[in-house]
Amino acid sequence: MIWPFITRSLGIATILLLAAIGELLDERAGVLNVGIEGLMLFGGAAGFLAALKWGLLAGFIVGTIVGGAFGLLHAVLSITLKVNQVVSGMGIWLFAMGFVTYWADRYSGPLPMGMVSPSIHGLSPMFFIALAILFAIWFILSRTHLGLKIRSVGEDPSTAEVSGVNVVKIRYLCTTIGGLLGGLAGAFLTLTYLACWSHLPTMGLGWVALALVQFSIWRPPILLAGALLFGFIWQFAISPETIYAGIPAPLPVLRMLPFAVTIIFLTVISSERFRKKWALAKPAALGQPYIKE
Amino acid sequence: MSTTEADILFKDVKKGEIILEMRGITKIYPGGVVANDHIDFDLRAGEIHALLGENGAGKTTLMNILYGLLRPDEGEIYIRGRKVEFKSPLDAIRMGIGMVHQHRKLIPAHTVLENIVLGHPKVGKILNLHEIEREVKELCEKYGFKLDLHAKVWQLSAGEKQMVEIVKALYRGARILILDEPTSELTPVETEKFLESIKVMAEKGLGIVPFVTHKLPIVLSVADRITILRRGKVVARMSREEATMVNLAKRMVGREVLFRTVRVKTKIGEPILEVRDLHALNDRGVPAVRGISFVIREGEIFGIAGVTGNGQQELAEVLIGLRKPIKGKIIFRGRDITNASILERWKLGMGYIPPEREFGAIKDFTLVENIAMNYYFDEKFVKSKFLLDYDKLRELAMKAISEFNIMAPGVDTKAGHLSGGNLQKLILARVMMRRPKLLIANLPTHGLDVGATEFVRNKLMEYKKEGAAVLLISEDLDEVLSLSDRVAPIYEGRFVSILPIEMVKKEEIGAMMAGAISEGVAE
Amino acid sequence: MIGLRFPKLKCERIVILTGADAVKISALSVVISFMLFGAFVAFEGTDPLVAYEHIFSFAFDPKLGLPITLHRGFFLVFNTLAFIIPMAAGIWNIGMEGQFYLGTIGAFAVAYSFPDLNQAILIPLMLISGAIFGAAYGALAGFLKGKMNVNEVVVTIMLNNIAFWLVYLLTVGGPWAGIAESTSKPLPKNACAPMVWNTPFTSIFVIVVAILVYFFLKKTTIGYQIRTLGSNPIVAKHVGISAPKISVIVMAIGGAIAGLSGYHMWAGDPAFLMIPRPEAYKAIGDLTYWGIILGLICLLNPLTSVPASIFIGSIIVGTTVLVRRLRMPFGLDVLFLGIISLVFAAFQFFHQYRIRRVKVVIGK
Repeated sequence: MIWPFITRSLGIATILLLAAIGELLDERAGVLNVGIEGLMLFGGAAGFLAALKWGLLAGFIVGTIVGGAFGLLHAVLSITLKVNQVVSGMGIWLFAMGFVTYWADRYSGPLPMGMVSPSIHGLSPMFFIALAILFAIWFILSRTHLGLKIRSVGEDPSTAEVSGVNVVKIRYLCTTIGGLLGGLAGAFLTLTYLACWSHLPTMGLGWVALALVQFSIWRPPILLAGALLFGFIWQFAISPETIYAGIPAPLPVLRMLPFAVTIIFLTVISSERFRKKWALAKPAALGQPYIKE
Repeated sequence: MSTTEADILFKDVKKGEIILEMRGITKIYPGGVVANDHIDFDLRAGEIHALLGENGAGKTTLMNILYGLLRPDEGEIYIRGRKVEFKSPLDAIRMGIGMVHQHRKLIPAHTVLENIVLGHPKVGKILNLHEIEREVKELCEKYGFKLDLHAKVWQLSAGEKQMVEIVKALYRGARILILDEPTSELTPVETEKFLESIKVMAEKGLGIVPFVTHKLPIVLSVADRITILRRGKVVARMSREEATMVNLAKRMVGREVLFRTVRVKTKIGEPILEVRDLHALNDRGVPAVRGISFVIREGEIFGIAGVTGNGQQELAEVLIGLRKPIKGKIIFRGRDITNASILERWKLGMGYIPPEREFGAIKDFTLVENIAMNYYFDEKFVKSKFLLDYDKLRELAMKAISEFNIMAPGVDTKAGHLSGGNLQKLILARVMMRRPKLLIANLPTHGLDVGATEFVRNKLMEYKKEGAAVLLISEDLDEVLSLSDRVAPIYEGRFVSILPIEMVKKEEIGAMMAGAISEGVAE
Repeated sequence: MIGLRFPKLKCERIVILTGADAVKISALSVVISFMLFGAFVAFEGTDPLVAYEHIFSFAFDPKLGLPITLHRGFFLVFNTLAFIIPMAAGIWNIGMEGQFYLGTIGAFAVAYSFPDLNQAILIPLMLISGAIFGAAYGALAGFLKGKMNVNEVVVTIMLNNIAFWLVYLLTVGGPWAGIAESTSKPLPKNACAPMVWNTPFTSIFVIVVAILVYFFLKKTTIGYQIRTLGSNPIVAKHVGISAPKISVIVMAIGGAIAGLSGYHMWAGDPAFLMIPRPEAYKAIGDLTYWGIILGLICLLNPLTSVPASIFIGSIIVGTTVLVRRLRMPFGLDVLFLGIISLVFAAFQFFHQYRIRRVKVVIGK
């Protein structure tokens, strides 16, 4: 009984990890994308519909690319057009809610029989892919010149620019990669974890991922821990009976749990004790458009 | 490191050879302002050639053109006789031009080494910091710099940060160094060290161009040649031997410099503010105010003189309530206000002029709404308990315009349409028309032109005459000396002394600001 | 040499945006949204003009759609006002869904507890209770933002999800469960909203609220502090405006107004509470998100939010016709919400820049 619970938890953790590491990369470059939930919805819907037509692999690819396209759109809006990053992210999220409802809800239902994602004793290889991506992004950020450029752009774009860094290019790159990963997270949700489409299937996971990035103090290793923790909490909220058959609490109470825990965690991490650490780690230019003089 | 374009360009350069030439540089901004008007300038290898000029003389524009941030409308730039065109700072860097900015272009959260490496074209994709560290160390030894390469930049002093910028430029292969107001944030001791090191650099064959506004003696002590700009034109060029303080100042300003603010003696009255053994931390948690005590009385201007970063900003913030002290007492008109909120302090009769105009006015608000900022809590301007009395506020705003000589089309104009000087007058008006018992004027003339500066100084003097107490914080020693009744030089969070103006010797104050004399006087 | 003349587009930074320009930009973004929405309708094989005719003729037909249009429209006014007040202080309230659900719980709890009270007492009690519940829920986010510096966007979204499950807990198999699935017991007769022109009286009430909010922001001292904080938090701090206090106040007021919409939504026509299964299309909760986009498009003006909300209400109601009569897919109303959000976001560009045609002359 406990093994399926663990694999399902790791499934949620995979989704959170993919979405959050992309957002972490964005934010390290100074671009806040509050529309991850929207990226996931697009990735999930596009992936699901593509899978219905061309099969599972195509689903993952299309989902990822569509997510990337909306990451790119966020880049165009917030970097080139200098729209407030929150407004742009919200716009993408609301657009996603509307568009996928109209576009994908008519195909609501499970994937056809036989379209089963590969698994190792119930654990999706995507988990390991997500780990690899996490490691790669951590390596890039901390050990490479590109990573130094990304971090510099997030700290002080004008200084980076006079040092010869192409701020716009770096920000576009990170925001688009963030979009690709958000799309992949969504595709994994609909194609592997749920294996179906239903109305707005993300259920707030994208927002939890956004919160996780803050919780991680912008550090990939802490992000991994957070994603695992929330994977378990989320899965427990959905199916507590797999852990302990006699849980008396009615289901809805448990469903509030991940959201309540998120608020508590964010409050703790924002408290005076952590804030100093936080203030030092937070990309100083996060949320600010870069305007060349 | 392989050879760079600059290496080739500057091969076998001999001292005294002309390496940079600007001919007929002209830049006209949209709106018709001629910032640079046919400027000629040249620089030899191993020479320090200073550029002098007031704010608005066109220095910044010229500097930005030389560094590739702006493109001239007319004129050419030659490096070792070769005509060059800079599309971006990268082109300028490639041609061996390095820039040391006045407001340091360094990333505080990164280490010194990371800052030096950032964006360097020859650094590999994966950072091999050991290799780079060795090279940077060699460079430091060559010019006699001492730097901890693994320290985070925010931990460094102003002088060290400047050194990092110089090393960064040199590591990039700079042969020509542009220095923007190089000594503005340095203590006198750091300044000495800095002047030594640029002499060393010049000796080793670099060409150095400091752009300077105020500190004329410094220019005189190191520059080989001096070029003076006024209103976008070169008005004089001279060698060090020809230059004297007086003729430099005269050429810069175009008229005899006179201070028309006349100090008047007023009757000193009751104590208004009493500060006892005040301690406070700065944003990074390091002690910034370290045991300050003083008293200000009615009818006096108390001036704090110091180099930026010695705790005067933190002190001002603690006094108005923006920052919590960790120890000490503040007594205002007989009441202990150490823990009072900002609003309570305003209500009790404190007034605060913030150091940056962006902290003092809202550009999207009309003048009336901006004026209301100090009256929304004032019963006289509130009707039926909850409503702001906009009629009265309008009247007040009109009075402000006439009394403070604010150039504005009307009181319903948005503040964003005002010029910097008028904006500062607006802030002054809204604070001073409340008639605060204590006015804390934090860098009140910062960045203003001569006319506006004079206006602000006269207003402060007038205000003192009416019997108010004024706490003046300024980086301009002349300003402090010409206005204050008592002067407190501040160094590393402490008042070195508190001196009545009659007893002040300018050189002594300067030495105190530098920490060279420590008296440790408390009242 | 003859000078070559050709027009070139040039981007200029705007220092201060005039009110008239801002209105133009908003209006233009709505027009563009209509055109894009029309393109989608055309893509589905329907003539957009025919579709728009169907939408508006149904939505404004007094016998058919008008009562629902007004009902939904005024519901949006509540939620738009709930967004506008915090936004004026620079705080993103996207927790109207949660505050609306909490307000619903507050109102229904009173009705179920005192079913026999006189109508004249019970209804005000329900409204007050709903407002208090919503205000408390909003104030919680405001407190976390102001005092603890916790990001309000994330917190309000989390609170929305919690509130949804709270209503679900009460309604589906809970103490308030009714006979039909996903619905509550009917409200007692005395609790039902008196109707004015076929719409709950709360519609008139919210117009009054909108006017009050307008004067509140414009004329009162607290309104002034809110606007100052929203325009520039640093300046506000320097002149003694307490950001923690203001953020609790604005979120509490916003929450109270969103809470009132709980009564407005249910107490009129259905007279019971419906909560969908989480996997299903939960139209009512999603409607609250219109508050964000309406607030922004109205440039935080409470008065224009009334007609704008009614107009959007007509689209929400009218698009159901496309589904029923023209056999178009579900979700067209939320699609329109999405389109207008994205277009509006893109048009924010014009709040900072103006594009001008300049004549460039090459050669002399």
